[in-house]
Amino acid sequence: MSKEMQEPVCSYNQIKKSTNVLFNVILFLLGAICVIPFIFVILISFTDEQSLVTYGYSFIPKKWSLDAYEYIISGGSTILKSYGITIFVTVVGTLLTLFLTGTYAYALSRRNYAYRKFFTKLAMVPMLFNGGLVASYMVMTQILHLKNSIWALILPLALGSYNIIILRTFFKTSVPDAVVESAKIDGASEWRLFLQVVIPMSLPGLATIGLFATLGYWNDWYQAMLYIDEPAKMPLQYLLMRLEKNIEFLNANKATLGVTGVEMANAMPKETIKMAIVVISTLPIIFAYPFFQRYFINGLTIGAVKE
Amino acid sequence: MKEKWKRLKANKELLLLSLPGAIWFLLFAYLPLPGVLLAFKRLTLSDGGFIKSFMESEWVGFDNFKFLFSSGDMWKVFRNTIGYNVIFIVLGIVLPIIIALMPNELRNKKMAKIYQSSMFLPYFLSWVVVSYCLYAFLNPERGLINMTLESLGKDGISWYSEKSYWPFILIFMSQWKGIGYNAVVYLASICGIDKTYYEAATLDGASKIQQMKYITIPLLKPVVIILFIMSVGRIFSADFGLFFQLPMDSGALYDVTNVLDTYIYRALTSLGEIGMSSAGALFQSVVGFIMIMTANKIVSKLDNESALF
Amino acid sequence: MRLKKVMVATLATVMGMSLLAGCGGTEKVETNANGEEIVNLKWYQIGDAQEDMEKVEQKINEYTKDKIGVTIDITQISFGDYNSKMLVATNTGEEFDLVYTCSWAHDFAQNAQKGAFLSLNDLLKEEGKELYDSIDPKFWEAATIDGNIYAVPSQKEIGSMPMWVFTKEYVDKYNIPYEDIHSLEDLEPYLKLIKEKEPDVVPLYLSKDFSAPAYMDLIQKPIGIEYGDETLTVKNLYETDKMMDTLRTMHKYYKAGYINQDAATVTPDNIIKRFVSKGDGQPYAEKIWSKDLGYEVVASPIMDTVVTNSSARGAMTAISRTSKHPKEAMKFLNLVNTDEYLRNLLNYGIEGEHWDKVPVTEEEKKEFEGKDYIYDYKVKLNPDNQKKYSVPYYVQGDMFKTYVLDTEPLDKWNTFKEFNDEAVAAPSFGFNFDLSSVATEVATFQNILNEFGSAINTGSVDPDVYVPKLLEKMKAAGADKVIKEMQKQIDEWKANTKAE
Repeated sequence: MSKEMQEPVCSYNQIKKSTNVLFNVILFLLGAICVIPFIFVILISFTDEQSLVTYGYSFIPKKWSLDAYEYIISGGSTILKSYGITIFVTVVGTLLTLFLTGTYAYALSRRNYAYRKFFTKLAMVPMLFNGGLVASYMVMTQILHLKNSIWALILPLALGSYNIIILRTFFKTSVPDAVVESAKIDGASEWRLFLQVVIPMSLPGLATIGLFATLGYWNDWYQAMLYIDEPAKMPLQYLLMRLEKNIEFLNANKATLGVTGVEMANAMPKETIKMAIVVISTLPIIFAYPFFQRYFINGLTIGAVKE
Repeated sequence: MKEKWKRLKANKELLLLSLPGAIWFLLFAYLPLPGVLLAFKRLTLSDGGFIKSFMESEWVGFDNFKFLFSSGDMWKVFRNTIGYNVIFIVLGIVLPIIIALMPNELRNKKMAKIYQSSMFLPYFLSWVVVSYCLYAFLNPERGLINMTLESLGKDGISWYSEKSYWPFILIFMSQWKGIGYNAVVYLASICGIDKTYYEAATLDGASKIQQMKYITIPLLKPVVIILFIMSVGRIFSADFGLFFQLPMDSGALYDVTNVLDTYIYRALTSLGEIGMSSAGALFQSVVGFIMIMTANKIVSKLDNESALF
Repeated sequence: MRLKKVMVATLATVMGMSLLAGCGGTEKVETNANGEEIVNLKWYQIGDAQEDMEKVEQKINEYTKDKIGVTIDITQISFGDYNSKMLVATNTGEEFDLVYTCSWAHDFAQNAQKGAFLSLNDLLKEEGKELYDSIDPKFWEAATIDGNIYAVPSQKEIGSMPMWVFTKEYVDKYNIPYEDIHSLEDLEPYLKLIKEKEPDVVPLYLSKDFSAPAYMDLIQKPIGIEYGDETLTVKNLYETDKMMDTLRTMHKYYKAGYINQDAATVTPDNIIKRFVSKGDGQPYAEKIWSKDLGYEVVASPIMDTVVTNSSARGAMTAISRTSKHPKEAMKFLNLVNTDEYLRNLLNYGIEGEHWDKVPVTEEEKKEFEGKDYIYDYKVKLNPDNQKKYSVPYYVQGDMFKTYVLDTEPLDKWNTFKEFNDEAVAAPSFGFNFDLSSVATEVATFQNILNEFGSAINTGSVDPDVYVPKLLEKMKAAGADKVIKEMQKQIDEWKANTKAE
C-alpha cells in the first residue's frame, strides 16, 4: 500500500526519540496486562485436567493435553451449528444496525429537520425507561411471535439510543454544513446526500457503530436465554454462558441440593473444557477489531501526511 | 392545519429516513413500556393471559419500592454505587483519551496497531472468566501473589476478606476491561477531525503537545460532553458482573462491593416478585432521568450546541 | 404533550394486538387408532437440552398416542436459567401444560400461592387415581397448600440428612469409630488427633456455602421452628441457644486450627486433603461422594432424618393454570408414574440405543423376595450413546418406578422407601408461609445473611461479637415483624389442622 510507503515522509511531525521510547514502554506494559489473562485462558485450555486438579493453575502446564478440544469436537455438530447461528446473527444484525442507526441519526443531525426535537425525545426515553423483562417478553412472544425465531436474536438489539446519539454527533462534527448546503443547492435528494456525501465522510463514525454492533451481537447471550429453547438455534456465547450460569446456580444452591448437586457437578464440563470454549468462542471475533481498526488508524495517518 | 401539512411535506424525505428507526422504537421500546406500571402492582395470575392478570392485580402504591430503603445498609449501597460511578465516569473519559492519543504519536505505526488491539482483548472475556483469572492471582492458599509474598518471607493476604484492597482492585479491573472499547469512540472522532488543521499547525511550527492542546482536545469536546451526559444517566446503575463475580460474592467485602444492582439481585432472586424488580429498575431510571436532565440543562446553558437535546 | 399521546396510543395498540393474538391459530385435529382426538402437551423441564430428545419424544409419542391420545413436546431449560425463564413465562401467562417445580427451582409454594398452578384435587380422583395411590401420602401432604394439591411429586428421598463425610484412609489408619460420631462435639478428639498426626491434612474442611448443623426448619431463612418444638414457637435461628452453642464450638475449632483458615471465602476445592467435611446425604450417598472426590469416603448422620416442606418438595410436576388440556395432562402424568415402559423410556432413553436391559438372575431376585420396587431387569447404560440422552432422573417422575443400574443393588428403591418411612416429620411440616405481607422485610434478609453468614457459620469469627451485629441489622430490617406474622399464620394453621 502506498500509504505505508508515505509514512517515513512525515518524520518532521514526530515526537522526540526519548518520548517515543517512553511511550513504547508504557504501552507495552499496558498491552501486556491486557494480553496475559488471555494467554492464561489459552494455556489452561491446553492443560491436562488431572494435572490442573492436582497442581492448580499455572502458567506453564505441568502436562499438556488436547483433551478439551477433542471433547468439544466429539460433541459433534452442536458447536458448528452455533458458530453458524452466531455468524449469521452478527452479520445480519450489524448491517441492520448500521441501516437503522444511520438513517435515524442522519435525520436527527440535520438542523433544518422540523421534527428533530420530537424524534430525539422518542429515542431518548427508551435509553432511561423500559418496560422491564416481563413486558418485553410478553410483546416478543405473544404479539410479535418471535419465540424460537432467529429474529429474536437480531431485532431487539438492532437499535440503541446510545449509538444514535454518538453517530449523530459524528455526523454533526465531521460533515460541515457548507458541504450539505451546497449539495442541497445542486438539487440532491436527502437520500443521495446521505448515501453519497455523508456516509463517505463519516466512515470512522460508522465503523465505530459497526464495531459496537458486531461485538454486541457476537457476545449476546441474553436474548437467546429468553427466547430460544431449541438447541439448534442457540448462539455460541449462550452455550458458554449456560455453563457459567449452571455453575453459579450450583454454588448458590449447594446446601439445598445435597447429593443432587454433587451429581450435577459431576455431569458438568470441567475447567479445561470451559476455557477451551472461551477460546473457541472469542478467537474469531478478535479479528473484528483489526478489521474496523483501519478506519480509525489509517484515517489519522493519511491525514497527517496529506500531500 | 395547512401550515402543518406544509411542514410535513417539506420534511418528507427526512421523515421517511427516520421512519424505520421510529417503527423499531414503537415495537421494541414503547410497546413494552406500560410494563413500568408493574412497579405499582402486586402481580397475581388469573385466567385469560397477561393483560387480564395485570388489570386484575392489586395496586399497591409505593409498597414495592420500600425494600430499597428499608435496610440499614442502604446509605452504604448508595454511597458505593454513586462513588464508584463518579470515579468510573472521570477515568472513563480521561484514560481512553490518553490511550487513543498515545499510540498515534508512535513512530512505528505497526506497534501502535498492536498495542491498541491488545488493549481491546479484555473486553472479550466475560466477568466470570475474568474472575477465574483474578482468583488464580488472589487465591489465599495457592494464588500467584501470595506464593510470591511467601517466597519473599512475607505473610500472605487473605484477599477475599480484606476489604481495604477492593476499591482499587475494582477500579483497576473496570478500567482494564473497558479501556480499549471506550477508546474507540475517541479514536474515531480524532479521525474525523479535518486534517488541514494539523497541516497548518505543523507549518506554523506548532509542537505535538500544542497541536493536541489547541486542536485535538477542543475538537473532541462535543463527543466528551455527550458521553459524559449519557454516563451521568447511569449513575445509579452498576456493572453487575464487576461487583458480584469478581469479589466472588464474599460477604466480608460487602462494605465496599455492595452496589444497587447486587443489592437488588440478592434481595429478589429467591423472592420472584416481579413488582419489586420493576420498582428497582424504575427507581434507577427516574434517578438517571433527573441526572440527565440536570446535566443537559447545565451543558446547554454553557454551550447550546453540545447539549444532548 | 405529544409524548403523552404516544404513550396512550401505544397502550391501546398493546391491548388491541394482544386481543388479536389471543384468538389466533386454530389447531389441526389429529386422531389416533381409537378415534380419539390427539392432544399435544407442552412440558417444561429443568436440565440441559439433550441431543436425542427428539428421538425419545418420538418413541414416547408412538406409545402414548394410542394409549391415551396424547403426544408430548418436552422443552428442557438448563439449571442456571430455569428460574428466570419460568418466571417470565409464568408471569406473562404463556400457554404450556406441565412444568417442573420444587423447593430449589421455580419455587413451588410461591408459584402455587400466586396462582400459577391448577389444583389437582379433582383430576387426581378422576384421571390420576392409580397415580395417587402409588405415592407415599407424606409426599402428597407436602404438595398440598390450603387443602389443594398443586403438583405431582416425584418419589425420591423425602428427608434431608446432614452427614459428616470422612476420608476412609484416615478412618482406617487411626481406627476411628466414625459410626458413633454424630454431633459437632463428638468430632473434637479426632480433629485433635488428625491435627497432630497429619500436618498436611485439614481436619475439618469447610467452604463458604457451609451451614452449621441447625436443628431447625428454616421456613424463611433464618426464621423458623425448631425440630421437636410441638408448641410451634417461631424463632430466629441465630437467637436459639443451641445454634449459639454450635457456633461457639465452631469458633473454638477454628481458633484451634481444625478448620481451614480461608473457609469463609472459598468454594469447595476437591484437591484439598481433608479428614472430615459436611454433606447432605441420602441412602448410598457415600458412593456418589467417593466418585466425586476420587477417593473412598464413609459417612455418619449428624441428626435423625427430618421431613420438612423443603425436603419433601425436592421434585414435582405441576399442571399450569394456562393449560388448555388439564385432563389429558393428568392422564399423561398418571401413565408416566405408573407405566414401567414409559417411565424407563423417559428416564434412560431408548432401549437398545441408550441402554440395554439386563435380566436379573433368579438368585438375586430370591434374595430380595417380598420387598417393594423390585423389577425383573436392570439397566446397562450404553457409554457411547448415553451422552446424547442423559437427563436428571428426578425431574421426569417417580424414581421408585425405574429400573436400577447394573452397578446398583436390586433393592435400592426399597432402601429408599424404608428411609422415607423412618424419617420423622418436623412439627412445622405442612405449614406454608404466605410472605406477601412481609416481602419487603424478607427481601432485605438475604443481603444481611450473605454478608455475615459464611463467616459466622464456618467459625471464622467470634459469634458473641458478630451474631449480635447480624441480629441488630435484622431487627432494623424488620425481623420481628416477620416472626410475628409467621407466628400468627402458624397458630391459625395449627388451629385448623387440629380441628380437622
